[in-house]
Amino acid sequence: MTTRTLRRWFVVHKWTSLVCTLFLLVVCVTGLPLLFSEQIWDTFVGDDDPPYEVLPPGTPNASLDVIVEKARALYPGQIITNVSPDDDEPAVLISMAPSWQALKDDENYPDRNSGHWIKFDARTAKVLEQSRPADAPKEPRTWTGIIMGICNRLHTSLFAGLTGRLFLGAMGGVFVASLISGTVLYGRFMKRLPFGSVRRDRASRLTWLDLHNLLGAATLIWATVVGFTGLVNELQTPLFGLWRVTDVRQILRPYANLPVPSQDHLSSVQAAFDTAAKVAPGNEVTGLSFPGASFGSPVHYVLWTRGATPLRARLFTPVLVDARTGELTGAYPMPWYLRFLEISRPLHFGDYGGMPLKILWALLDVVVIGVLVSGLVLWAGKRKIATDARLRALGYDLDDAEGAPVSALTGEGAR
Amino acid sequence: MNALRPETSQSYFAASPSRVPVAVWPWPIALGLLTTFGLLSALLGQHGIWLALSWAALSIPLIVTVTCLIRAWRRPSSKGGLS
Repeated sequence: MTTRTLRRWFVVHKWTSLVCTLFLLVVCVTGLPLLFSEQIWDTFVGDDDPPYEVLPPGTPNASLDVIVEKARALYPGQIITNVSPDDDEPAVLISMAPSWQALKDDENYPDRNSGHWIKFDARTAKVLEQSRPADAPKEPRTWTGIIMGICNRLHTSLFAGLTGRLFLGAMGGVFVASLISGTVLYGRFMKRLPFGSVRRDRASRLTWLDLHNLLGAATLIWATVVGFTGLVNELQTPLFGLWRVTDVRQILRPYANLPVPSQDHLSSVQAAFDTAAKVAPGNEVTGLSFPGASFGSPVHYVLWTRGATPLRARLFTPVLVDARTGELTGAYPMPWYLRFLEISRPLHFGDYGGMPLKILWALLDVVVIGVLVSGLVLWAGKRKIATDARLRALGYDLDDAEGAPVSALTGEGAR
Repeated sequence: MNALRPETSQSYFAASPSRVPVAVWPWPIALGLLTTFGLLSALLGQHGIWLALSWAALSIPLIVTVTCLIRAWRRPSSKGGLS
């Protein structure tokens, strides 16, 4: 490698790193509590679910139609928007609203939320819990809620909505570029050093450089994977949008102009679940949206099914069932880019291998913070050296003689 | 692992460029492969032995890092590297 190419790589590494380091520090630090959010909620807030009735094992679930009828009876005149069986508790969540229009209007008022939910016991069809009515005084926010909320918003969007998401996605891309250029530089700097050397008897700058190289080399692949999958996750809004304006629009075209039928005359919800389970064998049905939902068809139940095997558990396949007749319209596997997004999620969250994997994720995250900090120290040190040189050139007498020889040594082809 | 060197820092610098180049990539590649294996084995296997293998594989880069740091800080005059 010529000095010229090396210098170019150095410039790429320096600038890509400088651009993304601050944001990556934010993301790495806020990621730590998010990684353990389940445990944090359980510890500081506790599980507020009501206790479930103890029933003999094997008690069959109540028909979803019974549960839907009960929900309607509780709020006559309102519509049901979603039916979602819980995936690890014997409960079914029914979401309701005064009307689809009311939900649409909510989008213009950030404080308004006309939707509400009722939680039923899946086996006895008894009401377990309801969301707080909209006019009830707001529940005081817990510190846990506030802190976790801030971490979440900072981590995913820097409090800047879609713009923030896309910006952080771009930072993820820059981070990957910085990792690649860093790898090239590593090859050059480590030519005469055994792996893992940390020179502590020389200038402190060399210690920092060696630390940067060691920590970076040890976490290179992990950081690349988590950085890249983070980038893919930030693209979810545009990717889902793309799917909606292409495939989904195509599928729904024949129905687009039909009126939404009244909910009194719809086919059986339980039968729709059964149909969906039959169409996608091996998949479990995780929820149903009623006709008229903003993303769906005016006349279909949209059922969300997902794979039962670990790898496919996050690959959702929507199934359309005609809500007027109860007949199956079709199952529509998602396009490759959304499947890719779904596989990217576990690899970013580290939530697929139990507590030990989460702990390893946290430790690797801390090491990456070390890489970022040592990189900043190296950059700041270089700036100090440059400043000192300028001051000396101006005739100032600086005491510490450390800077000059070190810069000559470690700055090989650096500037 | 380098033995302790009695030289002063000056002679060390002088000696440094003439030292034999070391193989740069075996360690990073090995750690990278272990990480890749660890990330995928839990995702694709997700049961018993695959989970345990994943935890083991992902711990190794951390253990290696800590080992290098301990060596470097225990013996400040050596370089603390693995070879």
